[in-house]
Amino acid sequence: MSDKLSFEFLTRLNEKYKIFSQLINEEEFLKAEGRYHFHFSAKDNLCTIDFQSRAGSRILDGYTPPFDATAVRRLRISGGLLIGKTNMDEFGFGTFCTNSAYGVPRNPFDPDRSCGGSSGGAAATVALLDGHIALAVSTGGSISCPASFCGVIGITPTYGRVSRYGLIDYSNSLDKIGLICRSATDLRTYLPLISGPDSLDPTSCSQPILDLSSSRIKRIGIPKEAMEGISGEVEAAFRKAIEITEEQLSIKVEEVSMSSLRFALPAYYVLATSEASTNLARYCGMRFGIVKDDVNAHFNTFFSEVRSKFFGKEAKRRILLGTYCRRIGFRDRYYLKALSVRQIVKEEYLRIFQDFDLVVMPTMPFIAPRFSDIQKMKPLDMYKADFLTVPPNLVGMPHISLPCGYYHGIPIGFQLVAPHWEERRLLHFAECWESVFEYQFPEVKL
Amino acid sequence: MKIGLEIHLQLPTTSKLFCSCSTSATEPNEAICPTCLGFPGSRPRLNRKALEMGLMIAKRLECRIPDVIWFSRKTYFYPDLPKNFQITQYESPIGVDGKFLFDGKTIRILRVHLEEDPGKIKRVGRVGEELSLIDYNRSGVPLVEIVTAPDLSTPKEARDFTSSLITELRYLIGISDKDEQTVRVDANISVAEERVEVKNILGLRNLERALEFEFVRQSKMLRAGKKIPRETRRYDEERKVTLPAREKEFEEDYGYILEPDLGVFNVGEIAELMAIPETPLMRVERLSREYGIGLSEAKKIVFTSYALADLFEDLYSKYPTSKALSWILDQLAANWSTLEKKMTEDMRNSILTTIGSILSGSISENEGRKMLVSIIKGEEFVGASQELNNQEVTKIICSILNDHPEIISDYKTNKRAANFVIGQVMKVFKGRYSSDEVAKLVINEIERRLSR
Amino acid sequence: MDKQEVNEIARIARLALSDEEIEEFSSDLEDILSYFSVMDEAPTRDDFMLNPVMIENVMRDDEQYQVIDPEILRQSMKVFEGYVRGPRLS
Repeated sequence: MSDKLSFEFLTRLNEKYKIFSQLINEEEFLKAEGRYHFHFSAKDNLCTIDFQSRAGSRILDGYTPPFDATAVRRLRISGGLLIGKTNMDEFGFGTFCTNSAYGVPRNPFDPDRSCGGSSGGAAATVALLDGHIALAVSTGGSISCPASFCGVIGITPTYGRVSRYGLIDYSNSLDKIGLICRSATDLRTYLPLISGPDSLDPTSCSQPILDLSSSRIKRIGIPKEAMEGISGEVEAAFRKAIEITEEQLSIKVEEVSMSSLRFALPAYYVLATSEASTNLARYCGMRFGIVKDDVNAHFNTFFSEVRSKFFGKEAKRRILLGTYCRRIGFRDRYYLKALSVRQIVKEEYLRIFQDFDLVVMPTMPFIAPRFSDIQKMKPLDMYKADFLTVPPNLVGMPHISLPCGYYHGIPIGFQLVAPHWEERRLLHFAECWESVFEYQFPEVKL
Repeated sequence: MKIGLEIHLQLPTTSKLFCSCSTSATEPNEAICPTCLGFPGSRPRLNRKALEMGLMIAKRLECRIPDVIWFSRKTYFYPDLPKNFQITQYESPIGVDGKFLFDGKTIRILRVHLEEDPGKIKRVGRVGEELSLIDYNRSGVPLVEIVTAPDLSTPKEARDFTSSLITELRYLIGISDKDEQTVRVDANISVAEERVEVKNILGLRNLERALEFEFVRQSKMLRAGKKIPRETRRYDEERKVTLPAREKEFEEDYGYILEPDLGVFNVGEIAELMAIPETPLMRVERLSREYGIGLSEAKKIVFTSYALADLFEDLYSKYPTSKALSWILDQLAANWSTLEKKMTEDMRNSILTTIGSILSGSISENEGRKMLVSIIKGEEFVGASQELNNQEVTKIICSILNDHPEIISDYKTNKRAANFVIGQVMKVFKGRYSSDEVAKLVINEIERRLSR
Repeated sequence: MDKQEVNEIARIARLALSDEEIEEFSSDLEDILSYFSVMDEAPTRDDFMLNPVMIENVMRDDEQYQVIDPEILRQSMKVFEGYVRGPRLS
């Protein structure tokens, strides 16, 4: 696989699909030829010593970190060649990867359509390059969504499974690093490489050992609340996939009720924006990224100018929201309430998992939308598109999106959720699914 | 007048609170790393020693320590704060509702918590146009913040309180000598009803001055029939006045959220198992209580030296008289530091024995004083004639045997028990006599007692 | 949400917004916060956790070391005689 990859091919691919914000340079690529086991990419919010890490934002233009993210380092020392940083929504703020300051990636199945976000570039790269492994990050569904829109596999491990050292923060209690790839074999190979405790990230140090031994899936549940507001084509593909699951994999599928799900989306956005508004406070024109020369302004003006000029609109919107939700007088109703809701949703999942091995639902309520349609969407509509991916993300449970159908050639995915630390159930299901469903990958025409 | 203090002290750890940078750098921006600079992608990791020190302080201040604590983010924008938020403790300080006994008065401690220090700003340029030059060596250094209730009544009391607190903490966790000058205090002071806050006062001298100035300023306003506005002020060291705070960085809604990157800490258990060593004021209070001596005498002893206090306890437990106290205070305390430097086990025993002899009446005060002086000076004692000397020696022997009656019974089975007495006497008299002569007298006395 | 409030939040967050932006965000925030209010129907719990999984007692020893040369870090900031240059304070 690696010898089929040519620098020219990569360059032309990127020109057409805008998947990389930075591509490896030719000299490095040629030097590495024949000396790596696999090639991988890293979402641009992962710190890399040899590439800038700008998290899709202009305010970090120029930031080349002096350290590698642990996940990147672990893949490198396992023989991986980092070929580029993939495009993403600014800081992870987005569902369609249209908020990227360095190029909006185009869906490999239909270049007029979105790749999904925020790990749009990552998912597109995997759809285009056989054998490629993409490091991606999910906060509210940013691995599942693009995986679903781009017809590839996206796994979001349990919160705390993969060290976040070197991840440019969106939301510290919600961010998880995961993988996008084409096969269950790849999951089995690469997930263990990036998982495991890292003393540089305390939240990675409370995990039980990653156990990918075999598992049995007997019963899975569909939350009935998840089936409301789904488009016709997604529902049809999903129902067909469930049929295949029941008949060919002999897994029982039942509908369940999860009434707390309706609180999950608002709680997620409150927590995520609250934490993000503090994480983004550091971007002020001093010390890294955009560093302003003209220091002869009062610090408040200095900070405000840089931030206003270099943050994108969605970033500003989320900063405002998050700042509001933590204010005195609003904090109880929004921020603290959201923490309560997380507890409630978690407990509901745990109750369901007493009787079911996995929970399943469509990944997204529609297929990858056209860019022209996205422009017509209001912010709240975009947030609401996440209602299926947000619940497992909110509670930090591992989940996977697998291609389960195609509508006029455009991929549709379904998402499976397991209890904390039970990635093996997801892997097992992925392996079974591959034996009864064939994935299609786009023809690459340059 | 009511004064409350928020005292910030640096904890004497080797590395910073959330990263492994050194806390003792010399050149600017030398002890820095991505974490204490707030670089994107960096992450905090808690220093165990800092937490332990914080818990010791909370325990010493008799705080209620919760079972579980965590950290919070306090967000505000300032050039010395790398992340533009400070990791501190908001809803879960390591200790609340404590107290500190100070000069017979109880000062309530509202809370004790840990937080990271921001960097240090040097202002350069003309007043009103100053630029900032920042040194991030201090960024991330661990601080303990101790908040008192407004129980202090005068500027001097506030200063003495803080000074005593620092002395206690120096003993407990080893904070530096410089801390009296580097301690940072936010004080709130109200002469009438309204509270005025004076922030960022550096050092104890400035603390007292700032509070004195405020007292005068507020009193003047009240006499003129004016109302005192509730405000935040700062202390100008050079002009020695308080002024309205010039930057609005204090009037923020900090928008506190929990800090997820660190997780939680079960400190209840750790604190339970922690043993606090006896700090100076604790010892003063105990000596006063156990031995019935006055606070100021107890202070004089303890603050001279713990070794002197040990000597006092050894002596006073046998001879609980005011004379014993005055021997310690008048004869020994004064030159104790020189004495302590050359103190040996033998010398200490000689001193005890000698004073004991004086107190039990075996030797006269005059002689005793002279003997002490020569013990301390390490000289030979020039005494009277042989006749008198025998009496003197015997008196010492009796004193020793009175203090150590077990020697007499030990002697029954082991003649070598006498050697201890012989040795002691030899030392008292600085080898003026031969060991044979002394041995004869010692054995005489022991056998005389046995035959009784 | 009224424009004054948006202005105030923007000030706290150090964002200088244009009039159009204030207009736009004011309407967005109104919609979004109104949607968030569905959480009022959820019960309040005081046993919530900081993280989705239990992270407890993770600490490091008090040892000092540096992995990255501070000179590299200084190079990325605007430094004058060893100090980082910052904006005016008044």
